[in-house]
Amino acid sequence: MDNTTHFGFKDVATEDKQGMVRGVFDSVASKYDLMNDVLSFGAHRLWKRYTIASSNVKTGDKVLDIAGGTGDLAIEFRKKVGDSGQVILSDINAAMLGEGRKNLTNKGIFGVDFVQLNAQYLPFKDNTFDCISIAFGLRNVTDKDQALREMHRILKPGGCLLILEFSTTDSEFLKKFYDFYSFNIMPKLGEIIADDKDSYQYLAESIRKHPDQETLKDMVLEAGFGFCEYHNLSGGIVALHKGIKA
Amino acid sequence: MQHFVLEQALNFLIQNGDINLKPLDQKIIRFSLKDLPLEVDFVCTNNRIFVVNDINNVSDVDIKLTANVFFALFKGEDLTDLLKQDKIIIHGDVKTAQLLVDMLQAVDIDAEEILSQYTGDIVAHEIGKITGKIKKITQESSNPLEALKDSVSNFLINPSVSKTYKNNKH
Repeated sequence: MDNTTHFGFKDVATEDKQGMVRGVFDSVASKYDLMNDVLSFGAHRLWKRYTIASSNVKTGDKVLDIAGGTGDLAIEFRKKVGDSGQVILSDINAAMLGEGRKNLTNKGIFGVDFVQLNAQYLPFKDNTFDCISIAFGLRNVTDKDQALREMHRILKPGGCLLILEFSTTDSEFLKKFYDFYSFNIMPKLGEIIADDKDSYQYLAESIRKHPDQETLKDMVLEAGFGFCEYHNLSGGIVALHKGIKA
Repeated sequence: MQHFVLEQALNFLIQNGDINLKPLDQKIIRFSLKDLPLEVDFVCTNNRIFVVNDINNVSDVDIKLTANVFFALFKGEDLTDLLKQDKIIIHGDVKTAQLLVDMLQAVDIDAEEILSQYTGDIVAHEIGKITGKIKKITQESSNPLEALKDSVSNFLINPSVSKTYKNNKH
């Protein structure tokens, strides 16, 4: 059995990937939001808005945001579920979770729970949540199939999984521009703004190694979801997969 | 995009109209407007509706009707009468269709008015414009079907979307 996985374009021992990803996010945590705004020209906020709008989350729902980082989605989910609902902001990385807690406090958002967890081993009972979201996090998970099975397990029947992630564009023009931007501009901006070129080189590489839209849809269905469809955003640079537990 | 808008509208109406979807739980309803490029599947589950594309013919019931008949249902027209007049075609579980019609008729609110008051975001605004426009042109136009198509085309833009299919592995 092959005990290696990818970390960007590098092959690394499976057990090492989690620590390496943690290193990346420890390094970028304090500048994460700023870098997202700069690198995506602010588009990540629109992608996340679309994700929230697609969630069908309503008052009283229980929502788990995995790899929630600085809490963009958790803030909006909290507004939707109200005091009778529950939102859990989770991340495997303590530094990112700390940034999330700080961000929510600064914005006056209370009533969100924080849990440090690994998406492959979700510490919740079966059929607990109405909605689970993971935005720009799945590609960093070592065993994605295992994580998807766990998400399926803890969703209620009829619960909705939302995966917002970088994906693959069909447009040749966009592809060329995006490749140039990803491998030449992004690491440079990372170096200038966050003093961290390597992490943004990893970001570009990890996006290329992430499954394309159809492959990820198959993975979601294989994990047990009854339905799955995806919507391409910004020409497929990003895709929102929506799985429903039957 | 129209599926997204439709899903938002339905769930908004369900939540604000205090509609109980439990009788339709786990039902899949294929809904087609014959005079519009609109064929969607409603997956009713967890007291909400998901609007999806194509689920490989596994729906519990298929409902085909025209836009005018659709609005007639909203106004309380009797399903049995419409069936007798061949204005609506139903394949599959008629009881499920009746439950859906009951639900639509229970939505006794002005969608446009409610949406504009409560949300004010782009989606709500578009829903309001669409429903208002559709109602207006179906009433006024000499050729409502063509006018409706043009109108809806103007409002709705299709992003690329995958085929959705029922997972039969589980």
